[in-house]
Amino acid sequence: MAAATQIETVTITVNDLELTVPKGELIVESVKRLGFEIPIFCYHPRMKPVGMCRMCIVEVGFKQPDGSVRKMPKPQAACTLPASEGMVVYTDTEAVHRDRKGVLEFLLVNHPLDCPICDRGGECPLQNNTLFYGPSTSRYVEIKRHLPKAYPLSKYVTLDLERCIQCGRCVRFTEEISGDSQLAFRFRGANMQPSTFGLMEFESKFSGNVIEICPVGALTSSKYRFRARPWDLQTRPAICTNCSNGCNVWMDYRVDKVVRINGRTNEAINEEWTCDRGKFGHDFYNSPDRLNVPLVRRGTALVETNWSEAYSDCIRAFTSSTNTAGLGGNANSNEDLFAWKKLFNEGFKSNELDYNWTKVAPIADPTHAKPSIASIEDAPSILVFGSSLADELPIVFLRVRKAWFKNGAKVIVAHDQATDADSFAELVLNYQPGTEATLAQALADAKAGKSVEAAAKLTGVPAEKIAAAAAHLTSSTAIITSHELLNRPGAHDALGALKGLGELRNYALNANDQGAAEIGIGTGTKRSAQILADARDGKLDALWLLGVDPFEVCEDHDLVQAALENVAFLVVQAHTKNGAFPYASVVLPMTAPAEADGTYTNADRHIQRFGAVLPAKGEAKPAWKAFSEISLRLKPGRPWFNADEVGRALGAEVAAFANHSFNQLPTEGLPLV
Amino acid sequence: MSELVQLGAPHDRPRPPRADELNLRFSEQGIHELEALKTHYPDLKSCILPGLWIAQREYGGFLDGAAIAEVAHRLNRSYAEVEGVATFYTMYNTAHKPGKHKLELCTCLSCHLCGSYRLRDYIKSKLGISHGETTEDGLFTMEEVECLDACDRAPLMQVGDQYYGPLDEAKLDALIDQLRNTEGSTVVKMADEIVQVHLRDVERHK
Ligand code: SF4
Ligand code: FES
Ligand code: FES
Repeated sequence: MAAATQIETVTITVNDLELTVPKGELIVESVKRLGFEIPIFCYHPRMKPVGMCRMCIVEVGFKQPDGSVRKMPKPQAACTLPASEGMVVYTDTEAVHRDRKGVLEFLLVNHPLDCPICDRGGECPLQNNTLFYGPSTSRYVEIKRHLPKAYPLSKYVTLDLERCIQCGRCVRFTEEISGDSQLAFRFRGANMQPSTFGLMEFESKFSGNVIEICPVGALTSSKYRFRARPWDLQTRPAICTNCSNGCNVWMDYRVDKVVRINGRTNEAINEEWTCDRGKFGHDFYNSPDRLNVPLVRRGTALVETNWSEAYSDCIRAFTSSTNTAGLGGNANSNEDLFAWKKLFNEGFKSNELDYNWTKVAPIADPTHAKPSIASIEDAPSILVFGSSLADELPIVFLRVRKAWFKNGAKVIVAHDQATDADSFAELVLNYQPGTEATLAQALADAKAGKSVEAAAKLTGVPAEKIAAAAAHLTSSTAIITSHELLNRPGAHDALGALKGLGELRNYALNANDQGAAEIGIGTGTKRSAQILADARDGKLDALWLLGVDPFEVCEDHDLVQAALENVAFLVVQAHTKNGAFPYASVVLPMTAPAEADGTYTNADRHIQRFGAVLPAKGEAKPAWKAFSEISLRLKPGRPWFNADEVGRALGAEVAAFANHSFNQLPTEGLPLV
Repeated sequence: MSELVQLGAPHDRPRPPRADELNLRFSEQGIHELEALKTHYPDLKSCILPGLWIAQREYGGFLDGAAIAEVAHRLNRSYAEVEGVATFYTMYNTAHKPGKHKLELCTCLSCHLCGSYRLRDYIKSKLGISHGETTEDGLFTMEEVECLDACDRAPLMQVGDQYYGPLDEAKLDALIDQLRNTEGSTVVKMADEIVQVHLRDVERHK
């Protein structure tokens, strides 16, 4: 990175205040430095400016040698105007105000003004700009343009064409950010409409973002439509727990029900984007199947009970034998996992806990998760190996694409199928399924100048391609793999070969998998599949399922069913009824992630706090609390009272978590030590 | 967007075709020409316009969804992007299938003053078609267009790659008779000619 002093600067004047800014910075950005506001519609800081809406016009002039200012005859669009020496900008003159009024009057000519029933009402840039800068009346008395309303482009996005002000943000998002180019403007002039090809399905993995960046209510969320008025919603910061990226989001809720999810800015994690899986995947919070009382099995039935009785049953089963085990879920907080491990290790004298379901275990090497997601952006070349990123880690996919789009990184994709990243890849190495290790080794060999003919034959990737790919690999190449690779034969060999070729990442896939690994879950002698097999063979006395539905994570459903049927005692601790529920001996209701304070470790070891947004359902408790209460019954001591205390205990025991407890973390989270 | 979707309509959009579901119809000549044109530009995006001209020829003068999808597929661009380009320009026929001959009557100022609306009415009474309509036998489509930049010949009409003007009813009758006896479609012919001017001589399909 260039030192700050090397950046060429220019001095401009904004509303009579002098200001030094980097040469070429857009005026719309420069004025923000002084706290002035320029109204905008089409400009978006993360996308290229296009100057389509003319809302941002300012008066511009240049200082003359005699000190006077000569204004340009016409106003300029601040969003496309680069700062240059001696530029004088006025954002607040009468002429500017008059022009803004004109622009808004034009924009409103064809706008239906159906604000009373518009989802955007109350948080709409068009409303706001009109209030502050617009004319109070319209001179337009003719009939407005009428177009279809409520057009379902996909199951998530509904298009209301009348409201569109043709700013092009949505179109540019799909072109520049998500890269699927699913939206484009059809027709022209007043008829111009953003739409998909032939108005067919909007098939993006990131479609939800266009709802947020549309400055009017033209693109609305099909799920949120007419559900609430924005000012009736309460909102709190939250973390998405649907994958290991840990995107920052706003959770909007009303009367204890989640209503919608919006992106929240965190440059280190998700910038401001969300993927559809995260944005629309929080229905479970409002599910009618949420568990809210403890249940115990009496005879053949599960009957409601109180916590003490449920605890007693668990303690009886788990202390009468040390042949017990536990399987963890994919959205347990660090606190839950730590308290769980502690209870098992100290209370139940067992360490057979696992959270991971890949064919081979992840390599316990923290460097596999260390290079940050944000740093991908600066890599000169990127190798995506064996991962369909857009499906597995969608937001990491956006970073990779950004590295290519903005910084010209060379992207090499190696996969046995076509992936979304192929569209911008410099090279696509399409190998035969199962030859991952051979290909990885071939890349290393090619790098070392050895022949790769044999490997080329095995993998089906031409030798020249392998050589060309290897030529791009340097020590600063970002090599991106995910735990999906661990399901492939020879995964460890492949990772070993890749390690020497650049900065290797092997990202976990489920929320807090990384945390579980760091805390030491999965250090027992048996892996999950073995635990299930033992249960099936009647070799396990008691099994604890913490927030996991084995039917969802394990492909072998017969094994799961046999295991759950044959294990002598089964604890199902979950927030929602799941596949394991009918087999339970004891059911402990637990809080869902947004219902309790907790911290989560994401794939690049960034630990973030997730404060309770909603109250717990019924008698549900955070899992760590249940563990703490059980420990207390086994051995008197001081229980933990809140998530922060658990975090501090975790920090004292696992060095990586030192000073990373709930209250010690800043809003934007911290990388683990 | 013709059908009006009611509030709460279930989401049932068809999905866009996958690459292997496309019914590719470019002739060998079209493929050859497109390959040559691709080398003319720094990126394939720039090749969309000439690519659409080839498609307009290959698909008989009308760019339907399949034609647009084929161009997008051959140029590795998204369908939506190519559709956006095609629907922007009026010389690409995307709205409806034109007849064999397109009568593009200029109704801009000079032509208007010299009586193009009279000719418009004459066409209506003779062929029964007005702006945007096609005769039942599929021979003629009539369109009112903006200034064709030949005001000295007002009132003017463009058919295919030819300008006809100044026109009057008698000349129009003669022109229509002449077109009736023309073998091929002037719409397709013009598309082909535009493709040819884009190509170097060595690249032309012999
Ligand atoms: S739909 Fe919204 S984002 Fe897209 S062009 Fe219209 S106003 Fe802009
Ligand atoms: S914000 Fe500058 S023209 Fe739209
Ligand atoms: S007005 Fe008809 S050609 Fe110019």
